Amino acid sequence: MIFVVDDDKVMAKCIARAIPSDVRIFGNAIDAMEALSEELPEMIFLDIMLSGPDGFTFLNEMISYPDTMKIPIVIISSLDFSGQDLSEYGVVGILDKSKMVPEDIERYAEKYARH
Amino acid sequence: MENVEVDGILVAAHELKGPLATLRQLALSFDGMDTEGERIREEMVNVSERAIRQVNDLTKMRRLEDGLFEMEPVAVRTVCDEVTRELSYLFRENGQKLKVRYKCRNGLVVANRDLLFSVVYNFLLNATHYAEEGSEAEMVVSEVKDRVRVDIRDYGPVLSKDIWKEMRRGWIEKPTSIAMRPGSSGLGLFIASKFSRYMNAKVGAIRHRDGTSFYVELLKSKQASLFDDFCG
Repeated sequence: MIFVVDDDKVMAKCIARAIPSDVRIFGNAIDAMEALSEELPEMIFLDIMLSGPDGFTFLNEMISYPDTMKIPIVIISSLDFSGQDLSEYGVVGILDKSKMVPEDIERYAEKYARH
Repeated sequence: MENVEVDGILVAAHELKGPLATLRQLALSFDGMDTEGERIREEMVNVSERAIRQVNDLTKMRRLEDGLFEMEPVAVRTVCDEVTRELSYLFRENGQKLKVRYKCRNGLVVANRDLLFSVVYNFLLNATHYAEEGSEAEMVVSEVKDRVRVDIRDYGPVLSKDIWKEMRRGWIEKPTSIAMRPGSSGLGLFIASKFSRYMNAKVGAIRHRDGTSFYVELLKSKQASLFDDFCG
């Protein structure tokens, strides 16, 4: 199972379409955080500029629990993160929304999730 | 431009970037298309990427004021090649030709790579916008004393004298519709002028009877002389 957290529903569906396994989509960080207590995903694709608590709030929440701190996270954002190392948050990759292609998403999903 | 105005533009640009990125992603999601469908899909991706690039240019304006762009030795020819590659589809779609001539070696100039890309990109975009179907635009890279000059010649309407005067000064104050050039907001030119000024580069325009040349002159990097000795 892979989680996609993005408040842009159309973008979230595009991301989900590129993932060759089961996906749950969340439009905000709170819903995604609540879902984590029921089910731990193999990885998460996370937008940063979310309505309500933002992606960094979500990341901080993730690293504060032992069972979620090791879940690989790929940030998908229009913000410029070039040169930044976010590995301490469990971030294994950063994709620029305006440049990524579906194959980028597929590659991460294949690397970090079982099918 | 006033800071308040720039901030407004910045907010608008950020707001626009999301939907544009989504549109591009939607277009990329299509598969199993026939040849014509594939062509349209590619065009949708290209158009949205062009819009994203323009929005990115607007967001760079604030970073410009904060001095966040590093100046470094940049290979002009490499940048021009990249811009040409990125815009070649547009010239093709518009039924126009783009001629590129390099009259000097791939020397280094003092610039910021991203900003230089945007300057050349905006000039070329301008050229394809105004060139008529079947006509051509030309990009010439040459050396002028201690500078490297990139000229972009179009065969569209003549540039107004007012804008030409502003360009003579080396920059333009604000986006102004380029009179005698219908359908223009002058934003691309304004951005190119602003970015050039940041790089201590000189921009200008030459009025021809049958069109306009816009140019940017960049200072050669001191590393260029060492570099030139080894490349032919």
